[in-house]
Amino acid sequence: MQKKISVGIADMKLTRQEGVLITYALGSCIGITFYDPMIKLGALLHIMLPEKTNSQDSNILKYADTGIQETLRKFYTFGGQKGRTVCKIAGGAKMFEMKGTGGLGNIGERNIIKVKSILKAEGLRITGEDTGSNYARTMLLDVSTGQVSIRTASRQEKYI
Amino acid sequence: MAIYRYEELGENQMDVFREIGSIGNGNAITALSGILSEKISMELPEVNILEFNMAQNKIGDAEEIVGAVLVEMSGELSGLMMLILKRDFIKTMIKKVLSYEKENLLDMEEMEESLLIEVGNIMLSSYISALSSLTNIQIHLSVPQFAVNMLGGILSMPMAMMGIESDQIMMITGAFSIGGEEMDSNILLLPDIRSLNVLMKKLGVE
Repeated sequence: MQKKISVGIADMKLTRQEGVLITYALGSCIGITFYDPMIKLGALLHIMLPEKTNSQDSNILKYADTGIQETLRKFYTFGGQKGRTVCKIAGGAKMFEMKGTGGLGNIGERNIIKVKSILKAEGLRITGEDTGSNYARTMLLDVSTGQVSIRTASRQEKYI
Repeated sequence: MAIYRYEELGENQMDVFREIGSIGNGNAITALSGILSEKISMELPEVNILEFNMAQNKIGDAEEIVGAVLVEMSGELSGLMMLILKRDFIKTMIKKVLSYEKENLLDMEEMEESLLIEVGNIMLSSYISALSSLTNIQIHLSVPQFAVNMLGGILSMPMAMMGIESDQIMMITGAFSIGGEEMDSNILLLPDIRSLNVLMKKLGVE
């Protein structure tokens, strides 16, 4: 049994060689895995909102823009190489059919769009995704193999 | 004095919100008890201001399957209200009203869903009408929305809403159970900061 490292909401963890990074029950939030297979370096980020609009907010891992930036900074510091790095994303569900919540009803979709555009701008490849729909997902990254799996309430666990 | 962050609330003000929780929950539980003709016991409501992960753990396990009825408040008061129904509570409810055992909560029939939405609607409206007459504030409630899924995913919606202005989530929670069976289902009142200021002003605890 490999060591499990739990990643909370608005949180990021990074590890090398072995261990499983896991974030539970992503709803409208997005889980993003970063993996460099050459040195077996993996990171998992759990963001909640697309972008940081309040400059006073010190919780940078809560947002896609500042969260990805901070994750990459650490990832590259630990020896990750951009050209080798692959990303996978999960989450961005619409748990409730809300109307008139000032865009909050589709926060999941906005998160997906933002995350994809940032990763693209960073020159990173997305090699797997399981996003949208209306159910929660638990995301796991096995750092020893780079495999990412998704666990949901009613479907079989699958690899993306 | 207006507040800008949940953390700025004083003990006095927290007491008032606890009282609001008491009155609101009392009304909601009375309504539920009327529907089921059962004695429902409730715990003293709590007011918690917690960081996201702590807030989630307070309610249950992230991967636990729960049902939730969500309404949005608008008007002078804005924010969300959510009724979280734990597995055992839903099963008891379906057994009492529809007279059969329900095993797979993820596969809900239309009838079962309507039942739970209606119960949620009645409970949440009773809560809000009590709050509204206490404070003399007009509160409009949206059409209730229903979902059954992992608790963490369900809570992501209110958290994203609160997350825009805070790193913490304020929950006025009221746990309740049917006939002594512990089912710790919960009513969450999640007001935004603007609404807290409105409430404090109306209740004279600024």
